[in-house]
Amino acid sequence: MIGMGENILYALPAVPLGTALLAFGIRSRRVAEVVHLAGISILALLSLILVRDVLGGQRPFVLDGMFFADELTAILLLLIGVVGFLNGFYSIGYMRHDLAHGEVKERNISFYYGFYHLFLFTMVLSAISNNVAILWAAVEATTLGSAFLVGFYHHKTSAEGAWKYVLLCSIGLAFALYGTILTYSNAFSMVQDAHKAMLWTELVNMAPHLDPQMMKLAFVFILIGFGTKAGLFPMHTWLPDAHSEAPSPASALLSGVLLKCAFFAIIRYYAIALQAVGKGFPQTLLLIFGLLTVGVAAFFILVQNDIKRKLAYSSVEHIGIMATGLGAGGALGVFAALLHTINHSVTKSLLFCTAGNITMKYGTRDAQKIRGMGKVIPFTAFMFTAGLVTVAGSPPFNVFVSEFMTLTAVLRSGHVWPMIFLLLFLVIVFVALILLISETVLGSPPEDLPRGEVNWLTLLPFGILFLFMAGLGIYLPAPLNQLLQGAVSVVLGGK
Amino acid sequence: MVWYALGSILLPMVGGALAPFLPERSVKKVSQFFSFLAFLCGLLLLVAFAANRTGFTQNLLTISGINFYGVTIDTLSVLVNFMVVFIGWLICTYSAGYMNAGNREHPITEGVPRFYALMQLFIGSMSGLVFSSTLLGLLVFFEITGLCSWSLIGFYGDQQSRKSALWAIILTHCAALGLYLTTAYVFLSTGSFSVSALGQLTETGKILAFVGILIASWGKSAQLPLHSWLPRAMVAPTPVSAYLHAASMVKVGVYIFARTVLEAGTVPQVIGEIGAVMAVVTMVYGFVMYFPQDDMKRLLAYSTIAQLSYMFLAISMSVYGSKLAFNGGVAHIFNHAFAKGLFFLVAGALAYTTGTRRLSMLRGILNKLPVVGLGYIAAAMAITGVPPFNGFFSKFMIILAGFEIGRYHPLILVLVIVTVIESVGSFIWILKWMGTNVLGTPSDVVASAVAPPLAIKFVLTVLILMTLISQYLVFLFLS
Repeated sequence: MIGMGENILYALPAVPLGTALLAFGIRSRRVAEVVHLAGISILALLSLILVRDVLGGQRPFVLDGMFFADELTAILLLLIGVVGFLNGFYSIGYMRHDLAHGEVKERNISFYYGFYHLFLFTMVLSAISNNVAILWAAVEATTLGSAFLVGFYHHKTSAEGAWKYVLLCSIGLAFALYGTILTYSNAFSMVQDAHKAMLWTELVNMAPHLDPQMMKLAFVFILIGFGTKAGLFPMHTWLPDAHSEAPSPASALLSGVLLKCAFFAIIRYYAIALQAVGKGFPQTLLLIFGLLTVGVAAFFILVQNDIKRKLAYSSVEHIGIMATGLGAGGALGVFAALLHTINHSVTKSLLFCTAGNITMKYGTRDAQKIRGMGKVIPFTAFMFTAGLVTVAGSPPFNVFVSEFMTLTAVLRSGHVWPMIFLLLFLVIVFVALILLISETVLGSPPEDLPRGEVNWLTLLPFGILFLFMAGLGIYLPAPLNQLLQGAVSVVLGGK
Repeated sequence: MVWYALGSILLPMVGGALAPFLPERSVKKVSQFFSFLAFLCGLLLLVAFAANRTGFTQNLLTISGINFYGVTIDTLSVLVNFMVVFIGWLICTYSAGYMNAGNREHPITEGVPRFYALMQLFIGSMSGLVFSSTLLGLLVFFEITGLCSWSLIGFYGDQQSRKSALWAIILTHCAALGLYLTTAYVFLSTGSFSVSALGQLTETGKILAFVGILIASWGKSAQLPLHSWLPRAMVAPTPVSAYLHAASMVKVGVYIFARTVLEAGTVPQVIGEIGAVMAVVTMVYGFVMYFPQDDMKRLLAYSTIAQLSYMFLAISMSVYGSKLAFNGGVAHIFNHAFAKGLFFLVAGALAYTTGTRRLSMLRGILNKLPVVGLGYIAAAMAITGVPPFNGFFSKFMIILAGFEIGRYHPLILVLVIVTVIESVGSFIWILKWMGTNVLGTPSDVVASAVAPPLAIKFVLTVLILMTLISQYLVFLFLS
């Protein structure tokens, strides 16, 4: 089993890359579907194996430490593997519907699956890279991989969304590159070893000796850079366009997993900054940006009419909550932020996928026109309602748990006013989402709309995501708890 | 005994989860069955507890050494839970007769499975709240009952009911922030979510914590200044209103207040003062609002607001060290549930048979619909506190306790005198309507009424009996 422990780091990126290349070459839709299904299943399995290994105390390193896996990696890979699988499964039913209604051509289906796996590949790469330059490059590459998914429909609006996405994220990530270079040069002047100065594991070890002034600057650049990609205010403006224009399963992947890849990059630098410059500076920055993000997003959720844009702003809000958790700091704050990434991934995937079914049924994303969902598509409506109630932060679902922990962490850090503001913003979000349910799910449906679910194949992932959502709201399984605790000590330097 | 408690929490939830998948014909029977099982659990627990009377707490969900949920079994929780599941079962039975196309006020042709799913979830989460031994459990079920009542108030789905439902959830959710803060604060100060951890706080800490609890309780129990959702919620189907007012939702607030006061040891007197003053202010407000009402359900809504103030007054007075006041408050929670449940179900039966809830159009009910008329009389007498009906006993305990404390605390004396005046005033006003509506020759709408279904008659009869005997049950346990 020792061999598998390290080889898994080769297998993880190889599977999606291979599947992507294969899918691009296939013409038949049926074959492409089979390849796609096999690809996502194997990736999910591999990510679970990696999680098991890491829980067993293994820390695989390959290529002279260029790639590695610790608890943080494991959490991110868990999201990529499992959520990627469920969204991928949903994609099959979704794409069949689009094909049947002439939204896409048969040939483009294979492209969709190809880009889907390319996108997964770049995310896996960003998760397992220990080399900060590769980390940066991988996050940059996720933009390119996913931009094609955003612009997949070739509508004018989706092309515009994709363009804005590529442009803004590239500019943003340029900042992250400065941050990366600053960190590197800082470390290089210490160790005089170009290879070691690039490795995150080395950087964390030498963090207390790094030059604090330079690291402060580097952290600011990193926060702006990866923050753009993660959707932190004020660099979030691309996000609603991109997330709402993509096909729904791709939106789910963008919101559910991609944002976390960028967020985890921030966490990596947060861990360095904590030791290099002390707690005060990075925490204050994250707290301020986090709260501003939640606040701005809250008002946008309230005024949007497009349901997918509402959901996209809600993702911005939740990234804000995670940043606030890091900003509060301490074991509780970091734990809350990490748990929130998992909870949000599950819930937002469910929501974007249900939004996909709603759009298929009603032919519109306009919340003013969607009425009486409860009577037309009861199952989807129930899932949509449960998902919205969850992202609104209401028990008994999972998001409540991590939001409550974040609140407690902010209170513990002694920031009373930020906590009160956070609570007020969350109330605005709650009102906005409950209003949305009240308008779209209840009420009487349009006369001419036939009743019944769109596509039974798409409903299975809903059920599984719902179980995750409800289950994590009631209980935190021991392995997951252990994984999160481990990740917290990776970040805070306990290991 | 823990199993009985879990039974009354989980059985209705199971029934609720099944309901959407059942055909409309069997859903009513299955739901009655599950709610009856829950009632049975509540009854067995009551009997088992009566035998040894020792309260205890059992932790159920512990992660990383922190207890997140547990059940507390003591006089308070056993009594209130019995009321919750008993009335829950009665409402499920009543609804079987009420929720059909023969309803003259609001014929119901679809959505019955949804109704039963939510109703049973409501019963289960109410029971979960009552047994909760942790602040986190209280908070979680507080929010779930809010969600249930939101979807039930908006059941008919028209513009007005959706709007009223939004009022209910938004106001109570804002109030819940008080409980969020208290829970987080208590956890940070003591490292525990347990309700009894309140006792370890400092004097100032207790004041902070109880202010949060009071805000949450006021919101849920529709006390000033967070009352405005309750009268609006009258657009709900009447069995829902009955459950909201009698056993759940509004009782959540006062129950949380009672539970925390009970567990916190000595509570700062200033909390008692704030609680008592706000209670009496709300009581007077509720009473004044009686006069302009013509809709029977709205009149009852303001009556609920005023009656809840009695309970808040009683629990607040118990802060001064009066056991009698606390017992009076608990007795009133229990007694009022049956009386108000009955009153609403009478209003529902009238709406079902005559198609109207307008007080001024109803006359001579006793003549035409004897069971409904008797129910009206019993409910009115019990609410206004006329012996031998149950309301008299608990009100008497509260007022007696008030005068005892009033000997040393002039503020309480003044408040209790106002309370006595209110109780006489509301007696006169409700009796006036009773005289008009129940006696005399039937008016046109009453004369043309259809016969109420058997389920409705059965439930009304049981509740009439309960308004006569529920106080003895309370005395048995509180003595």
